[in-house]
Amino acid sequence: MVIRELFCYPKHLCNALVYVILRRIKKWFLEKSDILKGLADATIAGDTEKAVEWAKKALEAGIDAYEAIMDGCSVGMNVVSEKYEKGEMYVPEILCSAEAMYAALEVLRPHLKTATMGVPKKVVLGVVRGDIHDIGKNLVKLMFDAAGFKVIDLGKDVPNEKFVEAAVKEGADLVGLSALMTTSMVNMPIVINELKKKSNKAVTMVGGGTLSPELAENYGADGYAKDAAEAVKVAKALLTGGK
Amino acid sequence: MQDRMSSTERMGAVLMGQKPDRVPVNPFILGFAAKICNLPLGDLYTDPKKCFRTQLLCAEMYGYDATPMYAYASYGAWEFGGEIGMPYEEGQSAPYVIKHPVETPEDVDKLEVPDPKTAGSIPVSMGVGKLCYEHGMPVVFQSGEVLSPAAMIAEPSRLLSWMIRKPEVVHKLNKKIAEYFVAVAEYFTSTFGADKCMSFAGGPVESNKLINANQFAEFVYPYMKEIHSKVLGMGVPIILEHPCSDQNKNLPYYQKLREELGWKGKYIWVFGPETPLERQIEIFGKHDVLMGNVDPPSFQFKDFDEIVALCKDNIERGIKNPSGYILGVGCELPPLAPPINVYAIMKAAREYGSYK
Repeated sequence: MVIRELFCYPKHLCNALVYVILRRIKKWFLEKSDILKGLADATIAGDTEKAVEWAKKALEAGIDAYEAIMDGCSVGMNVVSEKYEKGEMYVPEILCSAEAMYAALEVLRPHLKTATMGVPKKVVLGVVRGDIHDIGKNLVKLMFDAAGFKVIDLGKDVPNEKFVEAAVKEGADLVGLSALMTTSMVNMPIVINELKKKSNKAVTMVGGGTLSPELAENYGADGYAKDAAEAVKVAKALLTGGK
Repeated sequence: MQDRMSSTERMGAVLMGQKPDRVPVNPFILGFAAKICNLPLGDLYTDPKKCFRTQLLCAEMYGYDATPMYAYASYGAWEFGGEIGMPYEEGQSAPYVIKHPVETPEDVDKLEVPDPKTAGSIPVSMGVGKLCYEHGMPVVFQSGEVLSPAAMIAEPSRLLSWMIRKPEVVHKLNKKIAEYFVAVAEYFTSTFGADKCMSFAGGPVESNKLINANQFAEFVYPYMKEIHSKVLGMGVPIILEHPCSDQNKNLPYYQKLREELGWKGKYIWVFGPETPLERQIEIFGKHDVLMGNVDPPSFQFKDFDEIVALCKDNIERGIKNPSGYILGVGCELPPLAPPINVYAIMKAAREYGSYK
């Protein structure tokens, strides 16, 4: 088709315009899917520089920041989580993935529009009193962040009353308690009982090296996750199914 | 069954490849001893006399065969110039790191190998060692794997991330820790005589819950081999090796270690409950002693009969080891375990652990 013909025949002109627009849309979608894949891949590889690069490209291409996080970074972290469950990735690699994801989030977060996000579920998270082992809790935080939860991280060696205060103040949907030591995990039922008295909204989850599903039940927790990969699945099930 | 041997005779028999009257018991008790003796837990890690006496009394009361020792999992930070907190507060179970001495790669460059006579917990450990020596018991010093102390020195997440981002920094740090451990071994063996000493090695950061086997091969194995080789070379006859938690994927490297060191000395292996005794017998059975690995948290949360059953199962499997077996726990016995559950170990050893 030549240009002259286009101008001569309105029908052809119309077709050409549709063709151009479709190509543009196709190109945009291709570009978009490339960018989202780039974000996911950079997260999986723990490549911080690339993650930042793809996050900037996403914004330049007009991709909604929330979409970039959920369909890029979060997809990448899901792969990381699966690989961790299968024993294909270990904590050093996951920590690098976390660095990459948080670097991308730094770029994307200022551009988040509340309207597209909806209201995120709030999670209060911490390692119980007397315990300073926080690698597991940090991995859980990472997975929750990646899944779009709003995480209030209380840190490690957290006094029992601080969990309750934070849950009430923040209107938490879920409180996650972590412990590695048998001496510290006995604080879990104390916190859970207090939470039940003061905040009837929040569901509770426990986890950590020495915990078991039976013990979680004995402690009165609503949920138990054996590791960080499982934590988000359990949380989502608890929050959609209620207590 | 009535005991026919003293603890010293029983342990001695196992280590010499002979059959004792019944399986010896080492419940890996530290904090529990302080609790049972009504001693503030922090005192166990700061006062050598209390540390020794508490463990001795607890062993006497139950009749188990372990001798006192001084060790804790957060070892390294204090010794290399960091700050440590002692477990005086509720919920705490052992010393914990307040300030890690390394925060940047440059800190590793500046880090000096500490004097093994004065570093951190060494004076307390030496104090316990002297009391053990005076009572004719083996003197235990903490040495061995480098990655757990490296994590305490540099902060665990930072160190694990450096293993990917800055491996050369981790190697630099590990080298300094290895040098320190050898110096500690020299200090103890020159003080008491190598034949009176036992080296205790192991740590949780080497676990496959955190790192993979290739990372173990790169960041743990070469240093472990160097330290063990030098410690055995000094004439230390026994290494108490505790691959903490799940280290099933590292097993080929522990096997390689023993093979490459020509099965020199006697190892007492204390794996976590994740590693089946049958697999341990397959690898180490011709040469080394295995210490049982009953699940530690069970002692806190299960009842007497369940503990007896768990110990019975462990005995029936472990007693098949041709080079000896000690009934034990797969990591430190929980300090808050009900006292009757420690009696359950003794009951199981006496009822099901006799050698025919």
